[in-house]
Amino acid sequence: MAMGGAFPFQWPAEPADPGLDVALPPLPTAVPDAGMASYYAADAATVPMAPPPDFAAALAAMRREEEEAAGIRLVHLLMSCAGAVEAGDHAAASACLADAHAALAAVSPASGIGRVAVHFTAALSRRLFPPTPSPPPPPAAGDVVADHAFLYHHFYEAGPYLKFAHFTANQAILEAVQGCKHVHIIDFNLMQGLQWPALIQALALRPGGPPFLRLTGIGPPSPPGRDDLRDVGVRLADLARSVRVHFSFRGVAANRLDEVRPWMLQVSQGEAVAVNSVLQLHRLVADPTAADAAPIDAVLDCVSSMRPRVFTVVEQEADHNKPGFLDRFTEALFYYSAVFDSLDAASGGAVDAAAEAYLEREICDIVCAEGAERRERHEPLRRWRDRLGRAGLAGVPLGVNALRQARMLVGLFSGEGHCVEEADGCLTL
Amino acid sequence: MMQFTHTAPPPSPLHPNGHGGLGLGLFLDAGAPRARPWPGSFPTPASKISLGNLNSTSCMEQLLVHCANAIEANDATLTQQILWVLNNIAPPDGDSNQRLTAAFLCALVARASRTGACKAVTAAVAAAVESAALHVHRFTAVELASFVDLTPWHRFGYTAANAAILEAVEGFPVVHVVELGTTHCMQIPTLIDMLASRAEGPPILRLTVADVASNAPPPALDMSYEELGAKLINFARSRNVTMDFRVVTTTPADAFTSLVDQLRVQQLVLDGSEALVVNCHMLLHTVPDETAGSVNLAQPVSLRTMLLKSLRTLDPNLVVVVEEDADFTAGDVVGRLRAAFNFLWIPYDAVDTFLPKGSEQRRWYEAEIGWKVENVLAQEGVERVERQEDRGRWGQRMRSAGFRAVAFGEEAAGEVKAMLNEHAAGWGMKREDDDLVLTWKGHNVVFASAWAPS
Repeated sequence: MAMGGAFPFQWPAEPADPGLDVALPPLPTAVPDAGMASYYAADAATVPMAPPPDFAAALAAMRREEEEAAGIRLVHLLMSCAGAVEAGDHAAASACLADAHAALAAVSPASGIGRVAVHFTAALSRRLFPPTPSPPPPPAAGDVVADHAFLYHHFYEAGPYLKFAHFTANQAILEAVQGCKHVHIIDFNLMQGLQWPALIQALALRPGGPPFLRLTGIGPPSPPGRDDLRDVGVRLADLARSVRVHFSFRGVAANRLDEVRPWMLQVSQGEAVAVNSVLQLHRLVADPTAADAAPIDAVLDCVSSMRPRVFTVVEQEADHNKPGFLDRFTEALFYYSAVFDSLDAASGGAVDAAAEAYLEREICDIVCAEGAERRERHEPLRRWRDRLGRAGLAGVPLGVNALRQARMLVGLFSGEGHCVEEADGCLTL
Repeated sequence: MMQFTHTAPPPSPLHPNGHGGLGLGLFLDAGAPRARPWPGSFPTPASKISLGNLNSTSCMEQLLVHCANAIEANDATLTQQILWVLNNIAPPDGDSNQRLTAAFLCALVARASRTGACKAVTAAVAAAVESAALHVHRFTAVELASFVDLTPWHRFGYTAANAAILEAVEGFPVVHVVELGTTHCMQIPTLIDMLASRAEGPPILRLTVADVASNAPPPALDMSYEELGAKLINFARSRNVTMDFRVVTTTPADAFTSLVDQLRVQQLVLDGSEALVVNCHMLLHTVPDETAGSVNLAQPVSLRTMLLKSLRTLDPNLVVVVEEDADFTAGDVVGRLRAAFNFLWIPYDAVDTFLPKGSEQRRWYEAEIGWKVENVLAQEGVERVERQEDRGRWGQRMRSAGFRAVAFGEEAAGEVKAMLNEHAAGWGMKREDDDLVLTWKGHNVVFASAWAPS
């Protein structure tokens, strides 16, 4: 007879004692494709059973398996949906999406795949059913910028990525400007200047004394009445002053990096220039199918013309610029799953909603935006290396010191699973 | 549309409200509608108003202090930033300040790897940090003998103690020396020599040694105490001194109970012809003090107090206490860091005078200091055995336990001075109360004191 639903919790004293109830494994929940076997209780007398091992553990294992199965189902659904989108079959895509929404319910939001799937499902939803034609008025420019700064800060704190980026880039800069008396750093995206205090401190105490340090910080224009770049510059200047480093700051406001011309950066003769770009260059990359020259080439030419001592480039190691939607979608799904997993590991399970929101914006851009609107065009290392090579920039290997430090610092604070690898002089996390 | 913002604030004198260093996570825009914190609030060494020279040693100390605070506060971001800076400004092969800072950096990394902020101690971390514990060299007796002679750090205590012992055991046909030391009887051969040339002839020498292998600070010996004892007996014989050698395994964690008990039993059969001398050379500080908890007797006392009282009940003729003149017992890691930084610069400073860079002995020497630093900063509870207290405190303890100070004679002082002449000019000696103190460039390093029952 079948046992539906109720799980007896009595332990038989002896195997196959016909007088006692026998504990049975729980029935699997019904699944649409009904591919699993159902368990039925056999007559106690005909099925000798050894006392079951820890019932609760078996139950937990079963649940985990179900979760995994549900997760895999969900991924398949999302990919089917993406395939339908690429094929232009709106109806099929809608149907898949509906199934995906249902499947989401079965997946625990605590699992890595759970949370990232929520975002991808939402992004697909936006793509299929864009918001009403008359969108609400865009938020004030200042708010957008401040929101972004807030999310960026949370992403900085929540995971190892930006921190790794900063101290590795700083290590390269520190070594490249060794012995130089005048150093000019050009930061392609100043934000709150999180990268610079540590470098200023290290320069302050370097043997031979600190250099004359100039920092040119590029960032979006501030709303009227505010000067965000200058605010950051003032703070950095205060810090530099307290450690006796001659420091001057210049802000360059620009909406896009290709609007910045070399003359605006005012590079002087004799100064050692370090150009620093953290997650900026991919926004300048063109659609691979587009014919016209990409803004990236103009920017790289600009960098080249300044003859910098070092150009530190930090980018996502992923290929999210593929022309085919399904390809792009799939790559992004697996990439961001890993990132979410790693945030989990770094935070010990606590969810940082703002850090996730930061990533969600990227996901949305990759999934929903097309053509000129898409900014998150991540490309893998080898393609960056080629592109930079074409612009006349040769790779400088990050030394053993950088690798060792990166491993130590990442290892100390970021949990199992994170690994710093070295490939052709570049470090990847 | 573009706008250029240009900010070039002229360098101006330091003003006291150093914003960044006032603490961790300080929100600077508290008044602004949208509070945007200066994330990580990177602290700066000068932020605690320094009116004097902003020299790089005090900078390094301040950075280390900020790092320790960041670790205690579980602030992974700030700790990472400061560790990165320290890694770059304090290479382990730099000048003495840099090497001192590098040792402290290693100790802090070791500490960070044991606290909540640190998620995993991977093999990479261990490799990168090169824990001090991995580098403890096991000396042969010959190596150790020449090693301890390189500097007055231990020789000072040996010379003062041996002089005091010789005086105290005058006239006794049997001398029982209890060795509570960290340098594996390196003091004894000279004592044997001195006893051998006694005017009234050598006494019978009994030597009882405490073997505290499992909790011992370096240096480490590569032979068993039995072997060591055999060598000492042979040496004594060659000087016509009859010697008896006994090892007692014991631990500071219980105030050397097993040793004291054994001595107590022996005392029962004494007939007044045996002089008992307890020679404490840098091992007493491994016995837990009040900051490490207490033992409940009629009223709670620390193991350290208990040990001294026990020693008093043995009615020894002389107790010699030689210790480093520093206090590493602060409960907070920052307090200990400052105390250790402001004392252990001495061996780094001194080493340049007697060991060339890159020499093996220098590596052993600095590895020992590294071990000490790591023990003081990164260990807690029973594992932390480097619980030094200063001369004044030890004096108080001895007096409370029922001892009175025995002053060192002119002969003792003279021998110490003669010994110091064999070493670099920076080493000196002074008297403080009844004690002798070894100094380096005027700073107190090690003190030697002698005590008898009051």
